[in-house]
Amino acid sequence: MQDIVESALLSAKRAGASYADVRIVEQEVEEISTKNGSVDALKRSYTRGFGVRVIFNGAWGFSSSFRMTNDEAEKIAEEAVAIAKASSMTKIEDVTLANIEIFQDDVKQPVKINPFSVSLSKKINLLLEADKLMKIPGVIVRSGSMYFLREIKTFASSEGSYIKQERIVSGAGISSIATNRNEIQVRSYPSSFGGDYQRKGYELVEEYKFLDNAERIAKESVALLKAKPCPSGVMDIVLGGAQLALQVHESAGHPTELDRVLGEEASFAGTSFLTPDKLGKFRYGSDVVNITADATIPEALGGFAYDDEGVKAKRIYLVKNGLFVGYLNSRETAKKLKLEPMGAMRAQSWNFMPIIRMTSINLEPGDKTLDELIAGVDRGIYMDTNKSWSIDQNRLNFQFGTEIGWEIKNGKIQDMVKNPTYTGITYEFWRSCDAIANKNFWHVWGVPNCGKGEPMQTMQVSHGVAPARFRNVKVGVLK
Amino acid sequence: MIGKEKALEILKKALSYSQADQTEAVLLGERSYLTGFANNYIHRNVGSENYQLNVRVAFGKKIGAASANVSDEESIQKVVKDAEMLAKFQKENPDFVSFAKKEEAKFDSNLGYAESTAECNAEKRAMLAKKIIDRSKKFDFNASGTVETATQELAVMNSLGVERYAVRTVASVKGVIMGSTSSGYSKESNVDIDKIDVNKVAEESVSIADKGRNPEPIEPGKYEVILTPYAVAEFISHMLYLSLNARALKEGSSFLINNFGKKLLGDNITMFDDGFSKLTIPMPFDFEGVPKKKVVFFENGVAKEVVYDTLTAYKEGKESTGHSLPQPNPYSPYPMNFIMQGGESNVEGMISNVKRGLFVQRFWYTNVMDPRNLVITGMTRDGLFLIEDGKITRSLQNMRFTESIITALNSVSEISELVKVIYDMTPITVPYLRISNFTFTGKTEF
Repeated sequence: MQDIVESALLSAKRAGASYADVRIVEQEVEEISTKNGSVDALKRSYTRGFGVRVIFNGAWGFSSSFRMTNDEAEKIAEEAVAIAKASSMTKIEDVTLANIEIFQDDVKQPVKINPFSVSLSKKINLLLEADKLMKIPGVIVRSGSMYFLREIKTFASSEGSYIKQERIVSGAGISSIATNRNEIQVRSYPSSFGGDYQRKGYELVEEYKFLDNAERIAKESVALLKAKPCPSGVMDIVLGGAQLALQVHESAGHPTELDRVLGEEASFAGTSFLTPDKLGKFRYGSDVVNITADATIPEALGGFAYDDEGVKAKRIYLVKNGLFVGYLNSRETAKKLKLEPMGAMRAQSWNFMPIIRMTSINLEPGDKTLDELIAGVDRGIYMDTNKSWSIDQNRLNFQFGTEIGWEIKNGKIQDMVKNPTYTGITYEFWRSCDAIANKNFWHVWGVPNCGKGEPMQTMQVSHGVAPARFRNVKVGVLK
Repeated sequence: MIGKEKALEILKKALSYSQADQTEAVLLGERSYLTGFANNYIHRNVGSENYQLNVRVAFGKKIGAASANVSDEESIQKVVKDAEMLAKFQKENPDFVSFAKKEEAKFDSNLGYAESTAECNAEKRAMLAKKIIDRSKKFDFNASGTVETATQELAVMNSLGVERYAVRTVASVKGVIMGSTSSGYSKESNVDIDKIDVNKVAEESVSIADKGRNPEPIEPGKYEVILTPYAVAEFISHMLYLSLNARALKEGSSFLINNFGKKLLGDNITMFDDGFSKLTIPMPFDFEGVPKKKVVFFENGVAKEVVYDTLTAYKEGKESTGHSLPQPNPYSPYPMNFIMQGGESNVEGMISNVKRGLFVQRFWYTNVMDPRNLVITGMTRDGLFLIEDGKITRSLQNMRFTESIITALNSVSEISELVKVIYDMTPITVPYLRISNFTFTGKTEF
């Protein structure tokens, strides 16, 4: 490893790079998915390679390869410089990086049960047991999945950083799809799109008690077919954690990414309404809304010790008492706005250049219980578990659909409703938040599939949330 | 590129290490480059080369799969052994019959390959980006976009005698032009980068941004719309995985269930998948090595057929249509060369026939609200205009739509003769559409 690092850094320097870094990444993944009583997929995959990022003549270049030899490292570093040289053909000003503390470190993440040491039979049997419990009339698709990742990443820079990090991720979930002739309804546990993901070992799977929840979600998916449609109108809503995590993701996480804000993602993901003139001045939400970016939370999927620029993990406020106060940044964007680098640069794997990504973006807990949130609603809907999401490219107008909802009347949960949806404008919505459940209801949800960047990169991020209440929201927008 | 000989040699080795009843080895290779620009300069410029070996083995009906991106002898052996180990722990899959059976097919393995794309260097990509940037600067706009090239190799071999290799290239040039109150979009994709007219990309994206200055708000409601191919592709792409494949029939999401032979869409709607068509970025066979068959989804609105891979086809006693994604894959089978047949209109004529309606350059961040009825929501982006008495009269602020694909494709009054390849992972080829009563449900602030 060290040979490749040295070859690449030396070669980049020889070719004239003013800055260079190398990331060597090794990822091993095990995926199991079951469907309708049989194992749908059982797969192990492995990838290894390195990427070299350079600044030459004040412009960026990046190249990467799977061939792990010193000769290849030299060649790839030279190619990165040639690419940077081409970038400089359109340069307006030199790329400069904010200074950071330089670290040499070796970080291993502890887990209770190494998921790769647990037998495949045990994993498969658990999913198939859950599958059996979901087999009730009306259910057409019963599915379950597990995902395990072991990643070893070495980062080294021409400034002297040399950081090795090893992490393990586990994820698991089950879902039931019911149908009649006209529609389908889905229920998932513990969340949709593969369940929950954390930097934990197999203990995550055991903690979720899938066998205690399988029959419940199957029955709920069937019950939804006969449930009344979500009413339309302006009313109060209470969002459960699994849905609120996505709301935070789309309307707080993405718009605070400073590369978006500065127009660097305009070609694909879009820009942001949280422009620099609003920093420290704009009322993003009500006084009870506090949103942090915290890569230091143990076991959170979006956490780490150092980002892919070697910046040590931090906790910062993005929104404090409702006021917009912070950005997710990189060394380059931090320098542009004279901010401190907060460590949000990550790449999907060795063959991608790091970009600004969410870490763990959290809605800090409030002081209510869930019952108190519901008791404060005369007419509204309690919604949970994301089914659909959409938001404009400036992150203002959003529309979400959830798997399930229940009417709230006079402070009490009433009938189940199907196809709940709600829509709004981001800051109006967060300003209407008047209560958040307390830390006993707070959970950090893993989102394994955040897409951003060109080439498109998928990133593992997370969101700590407790249920929250929003007043006067437009509900029931389904053609 | 590693080439046919080397690729097949790796696959042969993989097969030789296997003790399984059936073995399939697939090599996916890609050398890709992307030059990204924003704020009128190149801010991201990257390259990557990767080869991934996927091996599936079957012991009876027990299947295991493993993959790795290494090609030395020891690693190939490890991938095969991993797949075998997984298969032994596996439960029987009652749906499994066999990997792809040998099938005679003749095609050019370089179909869809252009040397100019494969050999395009960083300087040439930067020059193309610069043309869009320079055009944008003349209007005091900020140019963003990408110039992308990729050389993709696919080789498939299995123990039933399937042996295939193909190489193709894909190039795309995109311009997203930002003004203080407007934006514009254009993208062209082609096998051959020299056949992409970068000036056309610059012109379309800049002129949309220019015409779009100072947009005014408009109330949501039902409008007649002209959708560009960008908007059509973004809207109807959800139909491909939710409706037009055998998995969607089995899992209940497809509106074609029990409806084959019935007229479900307008008389003027014909859609098919054809991997060999000149209207697409071609692909002669799928990721199981099965040659592509032309599959007609709708002919004059009547539901005809859907795509299959071996798992979904053999179980029903059918032949695979050659639409398998890399296996195992929850989204397989999938139409990888979708084409909507063009009509007889031209865009100017279509606009001139609209009394009051909207011209939509592009939809963005679409998602499914109701999978069975294909109700989709999303935003307009990079150009929304009011049409009055056959003319574009005003730029409008963006709106949210919530509309069913089925309803919309029953309300198409005109289709352009021109069809365009929209490439985003896979190509979708679609025309401009004029649709009545398209539903907009919300608005935003820009």
